[in-house]
Amino acid sequence: MANAPRPSPAAAPGSGKVRIRMYRVGFGDFFLMSVPRKGGGLAHVLIDCGVHAKDLGAMPEALKLMQAETGGELALVIMTHRHADHISGFATGKAIFGGFKVERVWMSWFEDPTDGKAKQIQAGLTAAAERLQAALAARAAPGDDQYAAMASNILGVAGAGGSNQVALSVLHGFRTPDGKSTPVDYYSAGQPAQLPQSLIDAGLTAQILGPPTDLALVAQMDNKAHQYLTAEGDDAEPAAPPFARAYVEPAYREPRKPLFSAREVEKHIADSQPDMLAAAAQSADNAINNQSLVVLFGYAGKTMLFCGDAQWGNWANFLFGGPIGASGTAQLTPKAKGILGSLDFLKVGHHGSTNATPRDVVAALKLGCCAMCSTEPGAYGCAKKGTEVPRTALLAALEKQTQGHLARADQVAVANTPADPALGALDAAFTAGPSGQFIDYLL
Amino acid sequence: MPRNQDIFAPSTRIEPPAERPLKVYAYDPSRGRRLGNSLQIGIRYEKLEPGPVGSRFAVVDYDGSQKVYYDQVDLDDPMILIQGGLDPSEVDPRFHQQMVYAVATETLERFEAALGRRVHWRRPVGDSGKTIHGKPNLLYLHPHAMRQANAFYSPDAHGILFGYFRASRTDPGENLPGQTVFTCLSHDIIAHETTHAIVDGVRPYLMEPTNIDVPAFHEAFADLAALFRHFSHRETLLDTLQRTGGKLYDIHLRNDGQIGGEAAGQGATPAEAADPQIQADIPLANPLIALATQFGQAEGMHGGLRSALGTPPDPRAIRTTTEPHARGAILVAAVFDAFFTVYMAKTSPLFRINRAAQGTREDLPQPLADLLAAEASRTAEMFFGVCARALDYCPPVDLTFGDFLRALITADLDLYPDDSDGVRDALMQAFRLRGIVADEAQFFSEGSLCWPRLAPDALELPRELAFGDPNGLTGDEQDANGDILRTWAEKNARRLGFDPTIDIDVPSFHPMFRLCQSGALKTDMVVELIQTTYDPPVSKADVEAGRTNGAMPLRAGMTLIVAKPSVLDGERGPPHVRYAIPKHLTPERVGRQRAAFGVQGVVPSRTGRFGIDFALLHEGA
Repeated sequence: MANAPRPSPAAAPGSGKVRIRMYRVGFGDFFLMSVPRKGGGLAHVLIDCGVHAKDLGAMPEALKLMQAETGGELALVIMTHRHADHISGFATGKAIFGGFKVERVWMSWFEDPTDGKAKQIQAGLTAAAERLQAALAARAAPGDDQYAAMASNILGVAGAGGSNQVALSVLHGFRTPDGKSTPVDYYSAGQPAQLPQSLIDAGLTAQILGPPTDLALVAQMDNKAHQYLTAEGDDAEPAAPPFARAYVEPAYREPRKPLFSAREVEKHIADSQPDMLAAAAQSADNAINNQSLVVLFGYAGKTMLFCGDAQWGNWANFLFGGPIGASGTAQLTPKAKGILGSLDFLKVGHHGSTNATPRDVVAALKLGCCAMCSTEPGAYGCAKKGTEVPRTALLAALEKQTQGHLARADQVAVANTPADPALGALDAAFTAGPSGQFIDYLL
Repeated sequence: MPRNQDIFAPSTRIEPPAERPLKVYAYDPSRGRRLGNSLQIGIRYEKLEPGPVGSRFAVVDYDGSQKVYYDQVDLDDPMILIQGGLDPSEVDPRFHQQMVYAVATETLERFEAALGRRVHWRRPVGDSGKTIHGKPNLLYLHPHAMRQANAFYSPDAHGILFGYFRASRTDPGENLPGQTVFTCLSHDIIAHETTHAIVDGVRPYLMEPTNIDVPAFHEAFADLAALFRHFSHRETLLDTLQRTGGKLYDIHLRNDGQIGGEAAGQGATPAEAADPQIQADIPLANPLIALATQFGQAEGMHGGLRSALGTPPDPRAIRTTTEPHARGAILVAAVFDAFFTVYMAKTSPLFRINRAAQGTREDLPQPLADLLAAEASRTAEMFFGVCARALDYCPPVDLTFGDFLRALITADLDLYPDDSDGVRDALMQAFRLRGIVADEAQFFSEGSLCWPRLAPDALELPRELAFGDPNGLTGDEQDANGDILRTWAEKNARRLGFDPTIDIDVPSFHPMFRLCQSGALKTDMVVELIQTTYDPPVSKADVEAGRTNGAMPLRAGMTLIVAKPSVLDGERGPPHVRYAIPKHLTPERVGRQRAAFGVQGVVPSRTGRFGIDFALLHEGA
């Protein structure tokens, strides 16, 4: 086999190196960052655990591996945002997680149950997703799969213990090693991050770069959901004609010198109509992606950026200092350039979609920085329009900027799915699990 | 006429009328029959086929949701002609066709009057991607195109699609829950969409969303066109004047039940009003500054879809507001701020006379109300003219709010150098209060904001350039002008600041005939020059074959205002450029465009354009 995986060297305690492990589960994120403890052993940080579209069936195995690796103890669990492809593992693995000891949990401020605005937004988005799911199921048009996937991403797959509500309750219900209830922090950009003691002792630092508390952006999210919900229910009853039958013209008379024939006009009308369901699905999807918690970790002089699925709206303030496209905000801010120019590890946002990693970011990355992308092609987007996820052009640009240190989850085989031979062998900087399942990187 | 007939014998031909009267809703059906909601407007007379199909618009009433055509109205039917158009009705689709045709034509006429020339629509493109020649360039209007709470101009469909929908069952405002609401019956929405089509015809490259100001500008400009029309409506003006004590810009009006016992000039807010017992106690929204009220209420928003003035000016808002409608609302508020300021300044002597005569009694005497109404109408017409003419003084691509401010100042200065009404001052202050500044201007003053005026001999064009007359240019004259301008641009590329190795396009040139302050007729020509490169680069052969593979176009452009010189000593000099308004490619512009395209997820349309997708922009309007 072309891509024979190499066995992963155990991250030896005291080696002074951080290990980042990306599990291959399909279209989703499941990352484990392991930091050497002062007194020996490793402290583990779990960043997202989920899969949704393109589920390869590898999650149960991956969960068991993770349990074995961590011994059921996690210093920190981070939920970047409440999409199923980032949290479904907490639901399907409820039994496994039930026995875990977690020191601290981090989420974005959109999850804060005491924040009325946040609750309203989430409720609106959930309600919109439910309605979308029903409408898309009723419509059953070709090409609706990805929009249906977006809607179910917000709700989670009902049954089989997989719904997002179950995952959220698991995340809020952990216990610390002392048996107390695990504290959950809700962050927004710029707030100081409270690391659990074991990580502080180990020498890890963290900075919260997103999501912003931009009220205008937030209001926009809320408005769109509200508009969609108050709009007419086009899924329920069949469309009633607006005029009496007497007004219907049985034989249309074309004008003497028409610009377009009647058939052409009908086609134009049909083609020009926006796909409102698709637009609503995408807008709800984007809204939740933009709630992603963006964390910059630091250890022994190296920096690692985990950005969830954050897209332009979330990045704008941090990267450009203001709404992008306005005058004076077309360039990266010096602070952003500094961070990106010395970055050692980037978790590629939103599974490699073009919206999540602006071109300027790629150009500003340190040459030779390492990047990992947990993705599976064919789930979303359309290559013809240049919206496919992962975006080939983006990954090619990353490949160049990282000088080849780019690992894609589908470069290793897992369960019944082989590695994608077109992607080539894993770069020497990475090591794979004994039978695939994950890719490791040592910083 | 036979050759030997007496030329002095009177002609018996009955002359066609100048105007065709047609009835429309002044606002939308939600206002019922209050205050002249049924309005009769006079639009230019032309022979119409059933539809109606004229020389500029073609109304094709195909329902994309039901997949049927509705009865076409024949506006030349004697029964309809005698009554001055069908009566307003929500039930009869023929009235909808009449209203859409009437309001769209009225909007077009207003723009043609302000711009001083005939406006052309964007050239229609067939399915093969090639421009269609030899057929009349009509803009299609589809009053019932789809079942959606949306209405938009679609360049690909070469027309405007109006949707209809059922009002929200839970929060329908003044509509019945579940009632069918037609966007084609909203005067504001028709005017708004037609304005998009007009701007696209006048400035085709302005539709490329190369920075976040562009979609916001289009929304704002279309809203302005619709809102200023409100002030020509005399009955509503008079009523609003009485209810606001003459101020006109209060967001809420006192209703009949509230007028007794309050000091003059105070508007009521919902908080001030005691619990309303009957409908006459409920504070009214000010119809003059509210846009598309029925639509907004049907969607569960309280009040109109948007308002000309919503929030107090905040110069920081422009830095953080990115959503196109919200950003556009800032521009609308700035222009309306200036409008109301000028109105109050012009009418302050009238108010002082009134106060001297009758103290602070709240009711305005009828003659005073008439004068105020006339002043408001006149000022609104003037401001609409300023905004419309400013379009000619904008750079051809990548417009920002600052550029538009400079265009406003320059356009007004060009035609009316004496600013006795303080219009330019009011505009500058209003824009400044909202943080809209022009980047390249050095000082915040009229002289600095105005685009630089060239000396008469700085940039001269060949004498053969044909200006024609207000009736238009012939086909031959147009072809000749195109060649002359292209050759001249290539020859002077370096002086104009373009790259001499790349072709320069001349997408449009239009002679304009406008009356200036002294009453004299001024003849100018507005010329657009565009130079396009692609990112990633595309070879010249591929560009000509149309194979750009979705590469992003980067355009440098310049607008020239060329003057036709007058005759001196029996000789006419060469045409010279009075204003050269540049927009050259800089790394900052390229970066900004890339960011803007990325954020908006812009992809090429069916015909290969990179334009604003109005369907999605207007979704939920």
